Amino acid sequence: MKSKLALAIILATAATTAVSGPVEEQIRFRQSAYSFLGWNTGKIKKQVVDHPETFNKDYVAAAANAIAAVANSGLGELYGPGTDQGTGWKTTRLKPEFFQKKEEVTAAANTFNEAANDLARVAATGDINAIKTQFGKVGESCKGCHNLARIKE
Amino acid sequence: MKVTIHIWDLPLRLFHWLLAAAVVAAYITGKLGGNLIDWHGRIGALILGLLVFRIIWGFIGTTHARFINFFPTFSRLAAYLKGGWQGVGHNPLGALAVFALLADLAVLVSTGLFAGDDIAFEGPLFNLVDKALSDKLSGWHNLAFDLLAGLIAVHLAAIGFYRWVKKTNLVVPMVTGKKQVPKAVATSLTGGGALRFFTTVIISGAVVWGIWGGLEIIKPVESAPATVAKPSF
Repeated sequence: MKSKLALAIILATAATTAVSGPVEEQIRFRQSAYSFLGWNTGKIKKQVVDHPETFNKDYVAAAANAIAAVANSGLGELYGPGTDQGTGWKTTRLKPEFFQKKEEVTAAANTFNEAANDLARVAATGDINAIKTQFGKVGESCKGCHNLARIKE
Repeated sequence: MKVTIHIWDLPLRLFHWLLAAAVVAAYITGKLGGNLIDWHGRIGALILGLLVFRIIWGFIGTTHARFINFFPTFSRLAAYLKGGWQGVGHNPLGALAVFALLADLAVLVSTGLFAGDDIAFEGPLFNLVDKALSDKLSGWHNLAFDLLAGLIAVHLAAIGFYRWVKKTNLVVPMVTGKKQVPKAVATSLTGGGALRFFTTVIISGAVVWGIWGGLEIIKPVESAPATVAKPSF
């Protein structure tokens, strides 16, 4: 009985792995990461750009720290070979050229990482104007990668 | 025998040059991104207002601004291509370009209303559609721009062709409103007027104001309130 249960668990695990292979898993994780980034850039945009009268230093700093944490998490690991094809939460929009433009991609990604870390530093000071300026730089760095590696729908 | 006529009214000329400047500014701010993306949105609002203005002015404006007077019908196009077209204002081929530019700009501006860049920009009507449709419309926004760039290239090439091959300057009349034309076809503009102009401006402004959150029914639902109480976890 116990061995039957163990077998069932093994089979179920194997089935899950087969449906959600390593490629899909990478795509799903990175889509989740960027979606989470979008939530946090949205929070900063609201309090720093759209409604500065609602600016709350701690709220914005928490969002900036979250962005920096994602940037520093080693997202490059989620761009394994073959991950320009496949479906995570939805079909990936990674351009196949991504893999031929390793140097440009690395440069663009590092620009984002640096901008994100600077944003976290600036956010800690609570200087809303400085945060707004640095937030713009983070936005530009996002766009840098989108232009390079993201398929336009 | 040539005579000078008043061909383009002042509102039409203002429309043209403001639109040209706004399209350039929208292109630059859209390309650079960052904090300028908010200006891209504001310029989009201006372009929407200009388009609404031009469409209304196409019905109630002065002679050569009215769509009905230069609509490129098959007979007009055929006559023009055979060299038999007589008239002032937009010729039938130019009229095709005018309508193509206006139609493409309308697509560009209306898709932009629903677009988002997944960074820090959402059009004023972003929340009225689901994300997948917004992504699709953002894509069309890009395609409509590529088409616009092509149409502008044709527009500028045609102006160059008229300037250097047909020895007709089209730019100066669009600045001064005056043009030298053969006496036989000379028709100075009539119609328009301050009342119609201000009415058109007010309607255009109202449309823009309504879309940018003025009207309660289409007011974008903020995805989270601007001020958030500290969450308990």
